[in-house]
Amino acid sequence: MSASNINHDTNDLDRIHSAVKREKLDLPAGNEAAPMWAIFIAMVVAVLAGSHLGMMSKPLSIESKATFAPVPDPRPSSTGGADNLDPFALAMKKGASAYAVCGGCHQGTGMGVPGQFPPLAGSEYVTGGTERLIRIALSGLQGPITVKGAGYNTPGGMPPQGMALGDQDIANVLTYVRNSFGNEGPMVTKEMVTKVRGTITGHPAQWTAAELEEFAKKNVPGDIPAGPGATGAPAAK
Amino acid sequence: MQTEAPIADLNAENLRRAAIDRSVKGPVLFLFTNAAFWLMASTLLGFLSAVKLVSPHFIDFSFLTYGRIQPAHLLALVYGWGIQAGMGVALWLMARRTAVELKGGQATLITLGVIWNIAVTVGIVSVLAGGSTSLEWLEFPASVATVLLIVFLVFAFRIVSMAAKPQREGGFQVSTWYIVGACFWFPWVFATATGLLHHVELGALGAGINAWFVHGVILLFFVPIGIGSAYYFIPKITGHPTHSAQLAQMGFWTLAIFGGWTGMQRFMGGPIPGWMPAVGALAGVLLLIPVGIVGLNHHLTTLGSHKLVGTSPTLRFTFVGALFYPISGVLLALISAFWSGSTMQFTHAWYGYQIVVVYGFFSMCVFGAIYYIVPRLAGCEWLSVRLIRNHFWFSVYGIGTIVVTSVLGGFQQGAVMNDPGQWDVNFLAIATHSYIYVVARALAWLFILWSNSWFLVHLMLMVAGLGRRSSAPTLLTHDHEHEELPLTEGAKA
Repeated sequence: MSASNINHDTNDLDRIHSAVKREKLDLPAGNEAAPMWAIFIAMVVAVLAGSHLGMMSKPLSIESKATFAPVPDPRPSSTGGADNLDPFALAMKKGASAYAVCGGCHQGTGMGVPGQFPPLAGSEYVTGGTERLIRIALSGLQGPITVKGAGYNTPGGMPPQGMALGDQDIANVLTYVRNSFGNEGPMVTKEMVTKVRGTITGHPAQWTAAELEEFAKKNVPGDIPAGPGATGAPAAK
Repeated sequence: MQTEAPIADLNAENLRRAAIDRSVKGPVLFLFTNAAFWLMASTLLGFLSAVKLVSPHFIDFSFLTYGRIQPAHLLALVYGWGIQAGMGVALWLMARRTAVELKGGQATLITLGVIWNIAVTVGIVSVLAGGSTSLEWLEFPASVATVLLIVFLVFAFRIVSMAAKPQREGGFQVSTWYIVGACFWFPWVFATATGLLHHVELGALGAGINAWFVHGVILLFFVPIGIGSAYYFIPKITGHPTHSAQLAQMGFWTLAIFGGWTGMQRFMGGPIPGWMPAVGALAGVLLLIPVGIVGLNHHLTTLGSHKLVGTSPTLRFTFVGALFYPISGVLLALISAFWSGSTMQFTHAWYGYQIVVVYGFFSMCVFGAIYYIVPRLAGCEWLSVRLIRNHFWFSVYGIGTIVVTSVLGGFQQGAVMNDPGQWDVNFLAIATHSYIYVVARALAWLFILWSNSWFLVHLMLMVAGLGRRSSAPTLLTHDHEHEELPLTEGAKA
């Protein structure tokens, strides 16, 4: 393209091309040698980087976690002999964390919400027979219910928890509510929950308070580990 | 060097450059303008998603939940802004360096640009509607990926064919190596990853390939385009040649060799064969070499011209962008190395890395390029020094805040999660502990929103031809050295 193809007067041409005219020329790169110290540092980096290859014990195996060696598991387990928590304290600790599921309605204080959700603190349903308590936890409850003299009939009632929580979880959380908020009661064990779950299989829906009246005082038989939870002594801190 | 060229040759050369600029004007301005709109969208979504991390019910619509806007934010940043603007810079730069005019096909390129933008829109809408594929940076449907790949290939073909027949002695220079590299590498990484992830049952390895893809797009597209642009504009503005061709070659080839090996280290200690994360970590740390070498070369080139950083918008943005490159490299090494990566993996630090490299480094270099290219294509000068200053400072502070808070927050998060003694700390408690960092991130995106609004308005006015009618460039402070003709500059040197 030559200048004669452009139909502008000279001033316009100057202005339009001013940007290209003031440009500096493209220059080829200079011939300075790369400094030796830069190459030396690059080699140090390469050695450090290469050490990652040395960290593989079995390169083709997904088991090779040489640099990510398992650390000793600090969690107390209910089967290990090295526990420093007794079964009751462990159930209380795990139950406290599982209580997040219950606390949405029954509140962190266990006091419930007047007129909507019955309290757990001092509730005869909690401190009474374990059979009724376990059944409510597993299958839920609906319809009118009277707790500590106050009537409740929340639409939908309490949803069943048996599908979401395992027997051990339910045992932990029930132990927790029976020994918190001023309550005192013997531990609920995993075996007890398993036993109740076995007897109620096929029960299709939530219980009503009337249906469970017959279990009001019934405790599920089962061994309770010796210790603070065995007798319904005051809750461990 | 042609510094002794007679006036007549100089005029011919000027006219030639003006003709090249005219030939690429349509496609390049189209890409820049649309990219700037996507950048705006991405910034808004980035702000919103940071707010959502702290207050999930803010503007409570299902299509605006965190899980949808966070990927939409990054898709808009990567495909809407980054790759689109990158293609524009690559096209202009290659045409200028090789002195090859774009002969015909401008309308086709603009049409393809329209298709690219439709594809990005469809992809982001489908993510917001809940149709995400859950593949990082590939959340859009497979069909969108195919369209994007085809459009990119056509642009890459036009760019590479310019490089194949340069009309200028020594047309093939440092900046053009990187651009040709990016034109080949991006389709390779993109086609491999989408092909494998959408059509092959991979199991746990799929996560590793996805991470390899993200690292590949960063290191083999965003990094080379950013470096290519910096290698062009730093000598262009300062008038000093790139310090050392030898360093430039070392920097290029080490990036080319190591760039494609990273990614799998994201799953160090995870269920993939041990050599994959080890090689990824190796390459992630080795990439400190090109980072250091390119940084050193830019530093030695800019040495003595720091006054120009204050005056030239192009050099100022490019300089800061080039400064963010070593920072991004150090961060990549920290995330990749087994020693520190085991703490930083799966934390906010990863977001910090994406932003420092795509925004801090790549985008700042591209802003610099846009401030240089657009006046030449639009035929008018940038309107306001104040708008450019706003754009610069709010961007720098915003990006700096995001990167610092993400890395610190990520380190804290990772340290708590990895500490066996804290096994009974609720995950939610760890998440809420990082709120302070996320609030800072939301504020930073507001800063960037401010800066980008002005950038978008400024760019739209320029593209509409409403810029300043003047033969003097818009400089941040007046500086006579910059206005000298190349001839006198050459004679002085």
